[in-house]
Amino acid sequence: MSIPLLICDDSAMARKQVVKSLPGEWSVDITLATNGAEALDAIRQGKGEVVLLDLTMPEIDGYGVLEKVQSEGLKTTIIVISADIQPEARERVMKFGALDFIKKPVDSHKLLDTLREHGLL
Amino acid sequence: MKNAQTAAITMNTNKLLELSEEQRDCLQEVVNVAMGQAGDSLARFLEVFIQLSVPRIRQVHRDQLNQQLETLLGGNSTLVSGVSQGFYQLSGSRGLRGEAIVLFTDRSFRALADLLAYDETLNMESETELLLDVANILSGACLSGIAEQFGTEMGFSTPAILGQRISIAVMLENEKAEWDHALLVEICYTLENRSFSCTLFLLMPGESILMVKRALDHLLELL
Repeated sequence: MSIPLLICDDSAMARKQVVKSLPGEWSVDITLATNGAEALDAIRQGKGEVVLLDLTMPEIDGYGVLEKVQSEGLKTTIIVISADIQPEARERVMKFGALDFIKKPVDSHKLLDTLREHGLL
Repeated sequence: MKNAQTAAITMNTNKLLELSEEQRDCLQEVVNVAMGQAGDSLARFLEVFIQLSVPRIRQVHRDQLNQQLETLLGGNSTLVSGVSQGFYQLSGSRGLRGEAIVLFTDRSFRALADLLAYDETLNMESETELLLDVANILSGACLSGIAEQFGTEMGFSTPAILGQRISIAVMLENEKAEWDHALLVEICYTLENRSFSCTLFLLMPGESILMVKRALDHLLELL
């Protein structure tokens, strides 16, 4: 059965890079979102059982999404994929309920390892 | 007064230098990754959390630069301090070059000094040193990050203080722009409580834009 996967990033290039780095054997139904507001809508509609989330976005950014997911008690698993690699960024996203943090540009091996590590694959 | 032929050539050149939507999006992402690396360096230096915003990419004409920068920094009465550093490509076509300008507003500068717990009032010398340190961290990391993604290497010229606590108009008065058209990338770093923000501008003139487009097309091909 296919897992609803949401990829959220304001950059078309970044979204393509993430799609390209997905493990071939992972059966997913992909939805794309270009900002935090779209992401939250998609998650509420059940299209984001797993979410690959960027942090730096206009309007509602990644941190905002994580906060809302936590406060609304939305059922989802979020892995952050971001260029914001400062020490506190990882700390914060984990504190706000993210499962893990992968730095950009996304490496397909790293993504595969992370998914395996958390039993998502 | 330009005659019709010159005007036509200018227009065609401008078209050549324009980035497509795809190229612009690609550049934004390249800068995003690079500014994340620079933000990381700055965060470690200041031991604070740095807020990154989406980088903005514009194409400006020489006459517009003043105005653009003024608007971006809050008007012509804003006092700023700035550092400028030239960068150039070390390998490959060597066509990629430009200027990195880091601007701080006066308020920001004081906040920065407070953050680094300068006990006495900053004197001119330590202010200059601080300006150069932060600018160096930001432009160095950011440009290296961009170069790495483009598969090339950058060299840097000695940084120069453009001015301390002066208006942008005065600061740019002496800047003799040798270009008509440039790509302006704006990268803003803010501290959480907003007391400090500084902006890194990357200015890439005319022919350099063609090199950027080439590098971007190469990245897009890999997708």
